[in-house]
Amino acid sequence: MTQSTNFIDPSVLATLDNLEMRARVIVEGFIAGLHKSPKRGFSVEFTDYRHYIRGDDMRHVDWKLYGRSDKMYIKQYEDETNVRCYILLDSSASMAYASASMSKLDYGRTLASALAYFIMRQRDAVGLITFDDKIKDYIPAKARQVHLIRILRSLHELQAGGQTNSVRPLSELAMTLNQKSLVILISDMLEDEQATIKTLQQLRAKGNEVIVFHVLDNQELYFNFNESTEFVDMETAETHITSPQAIRNAYLENLQRYLDDCKKKCQSSGVDYCLLDTSQPLDKALASYLSRRTRSS
Amino acid sequence: MGFLTPLFLLGLLAAAIPIAIHLIRRENPPKVMFGTLRFVKQTTKKLILFQQIQQWLLLLLRAALICLLVLAFARPLLFQGGMARLMDAEPRSVAILLDTSLSMRVGERFERAKAQALQVLDGLNAGDEAAVLTFADGTLTVRELSSDIDGLRAFVNALDEPGYDRVRFYPVLQQADDMLAESQHQRRQIVMISDFKASGLDSDALVSDGQSVDQNGWMLAAGTGFLPVDVGDERSSNLSLTDVRSPQQLLENQTDYEVLARVRSTGNVFLDRGNLSLNLRTQAGDDVVTNNAGSIPVQLNERSEAVINLPLNLDATGAFTGELVLSGDDVDLDNRWYFSLDVLPRMRVLVVNGDPSTDWYDDEAHWFVLALQGLDNSPFDVTSVMADALTVPQIREHDAVVLLNASLQDNRLLAELQTFVTEGGALLFAPGNRVTASEFNDSFAGITPATLISSEELATNDYQLIADIDRRHPALRALNVDFGARFQGYWLTAPGSDSDVLMRFDNGSPMLVEAQAGEGRSMLLSSSLDLAWSNFPLQGLYLPFVHEVLTYLIQPPQRERAYLVGDMIDLSSFMSADNSSLEFQEPDGTLVQMTQDNAFYRARMPGFIPLAQTTLAINIAAEAASSRRADIDALTDAIINPETTPLVSEQVRTAQLIADIEQPQRLWWWIVLLVMMLLVVEAWVANRTYR
Repeated sequence: MTQSTNFIDPSVLATLDNLEMRARVIVEGFIAGLHKSPKRGFSVEFTDYRHYIRGDDMRHVDWKLYGRSDKMYIKQYEDETNVRCYILLDSSASMAYASASMSKLDYGRTLASALAYFIMRQRDAVGLITFDDKIKDYIPAKARQVHLIRILRSLHELQAGGQTNSVRPLSELAMTLNQKSLVILISDMLEDEQATIKTLQQLRAKGNEVIVFHVLDNQELYFNFNESTEFVDMETAETHITSPQAIRNAYLENLQRYLDDCKKKCQSSGVDYCLLDTSQPLDKALASYLSRRTRSS
Repeated sequence: MGFLTPLFLLGLLAAAIPIAIHLIRRENPPKVMFGTLRFVKQTTKKLILFQQIQQWLLLLLRAALICLLVLAFARPLLFQGGMARLMDAEPRSVAILLDTSLSMRVGERFERAKAQALQVLDGLNAGDEAAVLTFADGTLTVRELSSDIDGLRAFVNALDEPGYDRVRFYPVLQQADDMLAESQHQRRQIVMISDFKASGLDSDALVSDGQSVDQNGWMLAAGTGFLPVDVGDERSSNLSLTDVRSPQQLLENQTDYEVLARVRSTGNVFLDRGNLSLNLRTQAGDDVVTNNAGSIPVQLNERSEAVINLPLNLDATGAFTGELVLSGDDVDLDNRWYFSLDVLPRMRVLVVNGDPSTDWYDDEAHWFVLALQGLDNSPFDVTSVMADALTVPQIREHDAVVLLNASLQDNRLLAELQTFVTEGGALLFAPGNRVTASEFNDSFAGITPATLISSEELATNDYQLIADIDRRHPALRALNVDFGARFQGYWLTAPGSDSDVLMRFDNGSPMLVEAQAGEGRSMLLSSSLDLAWSNFPLQGLYLPFVHEVLTYLIQPPQRERAYLVGDMIDLSSFMSADNSSLEFQEPDGTLVQMTQDNAFYRARMPGFIPLAQTTLAINIAAEAASSRRADIDALTDAIINPETTPLVSEQVRTAQLIADIEQPQRLWWWIVLLVMMLLVVEAWVANRTYR
């Protein structure tokens, strides 16, 4: 398996403005790490030879074999998987929270671009849906290289705002899907996670593969505030003054209960659940995707 | 409960620091935008409440720590039995000396002095005793040593405003020292409240070049402390009339007299708006216009002086009162100088020539008349007649009759002469060789100061000199010249029982004899006043002699009419024989009655005191008005007895007593111990308390 040390720290990634560059840095690094893995190849794999017949694409002629046997053979490959992948990125106001250099939205944006780049690199079709309490942008899944640019531009222009409502884009997506697809949800799921997971379960029930990247900030996960603080809810603007040290344990207990519930419900319905800390490198997310893709193929 | 160093208690204000920090931070916590509050708000209210209690406890602990530290530094102590008992352990006797001299009338000085005296009384404890003495030139009022502090306080409150006297420190200091010597307590202290004018030292301890010279070597008794309280330090401008020279008597139409006024700036700032004016009034109170052109401007730097001349030209004769008035400075007390003045008519002298001669050199009256009229502005109007031409009206028209070697046989003339003298006229005899003893003695019995016995004429080379002179006599006081006249002829005389011999020859025989005759006065010179028997008329003594003797006979010296505040005035001479009491008004209108038994009046305030015969002028002594300050440290050093040790103030003694009490208690040790324990508690609570 890859070692996390081969990946670039998110704080360093945040300094790269170009999303394509970020995606490439992540994916190339990730793939470089894969060479050390015993599992090799998953895309277009060689299976057999057949005699050349007219009309075959000359690019598939095995010229080395032709040199040895003086006969033209065409390499035969397994069929392409032809996976359609939809990345759903939450851009609600809470996703703008950042205790360090990279906000949850930046982290999710980077993750989405890396996944899109990675999927494109496998010649799979990839689409993008950004949303808060409504769908902000919808890019259908396509496998062309030019399509990646559109996705990256959309991600680049994405701004945080509004409240979270994951159910609506997921439901609309479910209605439009006419073949099995891979649905990747990148969200902090801080509002109405029960309904969201329920919708994901419905998508899964229709035969789709579903991966949830649950993105949370390090401070949200560990609540390492010191002095008395007035907290302001980024989505509702509600305020609350408290002593963080006093409530830290209670907070962490409540959070853990919530995370456990999310994980349990996802797992019970076959939804891959991956909790991401924005202070950690993105290899965990890519590895999770790879694992799901391997199983689905 | 008390404190050794109570100033540290100001540090209690520091207890507000943690409270202020707490309140400020509570009001302005940092604001953090957060993803969601759902997990924050799920925490229990009980937990929050507990944390708040812990925070308040921590706050209280920290404030208490600061307070206890401050208390420890203030060195608390417990008075077993109370502070009063502590101080009663060593009661004291205090003499409060309150200055009521003229300079204390300036501004609010006296009110401040009374307040200081009350403050001293307030500082006394039960068992202490105190006395209050007011003083100026001497001790004025005395409230003897007493433990009745309220009574003393009432006494101080009831004190009237200061008088017009100068100040002297030593008399009252000596009296207070004597008083304290009889006190029942060993702790003795003199508190002198004054503006400490240098004039207070002048008569007893001179101040020169800032050095105090204790002339008498007097000092306080050993063990008696001295605390000067200075109440006169304000800046002021002051002009003072320190000396005025004005004649008491003037002759009619005399033009060469003037009033000299010495004006001194005794304040401590430059004064440029002073004025000096002279007001003259008749006895009836009418203003008299002199030739002074209004007021004279006075500009003086601090501590400088000027002499100003004011000519006196009076057309009329009679009694006048004069007032010099300074204006333009801050202090009005010493701005007036009062004087009284008599302008007298020229003296009319009738010279009866008993031995006239056509040769002026031998004429009996020639030298005498020449001496009287030889001056440009002679005070005498002289009429010279021969003895046989003398008439009764001539005697009545003159102030003095001079019989030069003359004898009178006409009984009418003799009777008139008797009446003339007994009613106040002046008579001078100068018998010579034309006079016979029996005839003279018979004719002038009753009015001659001495009877003639026999005439003596010495040999050519023999003579008598003037050997014995009563220089205290008003007529002879001014004759400080050579008495070298030689007398070869003279009369042996027998002075009357009521007569005074003023001059004698060197053989002891009376030369000049004086006697009172009724209201008048007569003198007998036992030799002639021409050159027949002596060379007296050719001597330098002659002219002043005849002037002084005649002036004395005609105008007997005025009684002193100019006094200073504080002087004792003998008024007995102003009382007539038939009335043994005298009533007059003081300058402020107070009616005063004096009797023959109690004829000494102490001048209280400046101004005029009108009497029947004359007007007395009372002025402020120049020293009283001076604002020059005494060196208080030098005074203290001069009067403190070297054996009075240690010289510590009351506050220091109290502080030492308190320190002695605090030493064994050492409450601050326990407080510091408590602070250390609380620090541990604070650290423990702080670790369990979240901000």
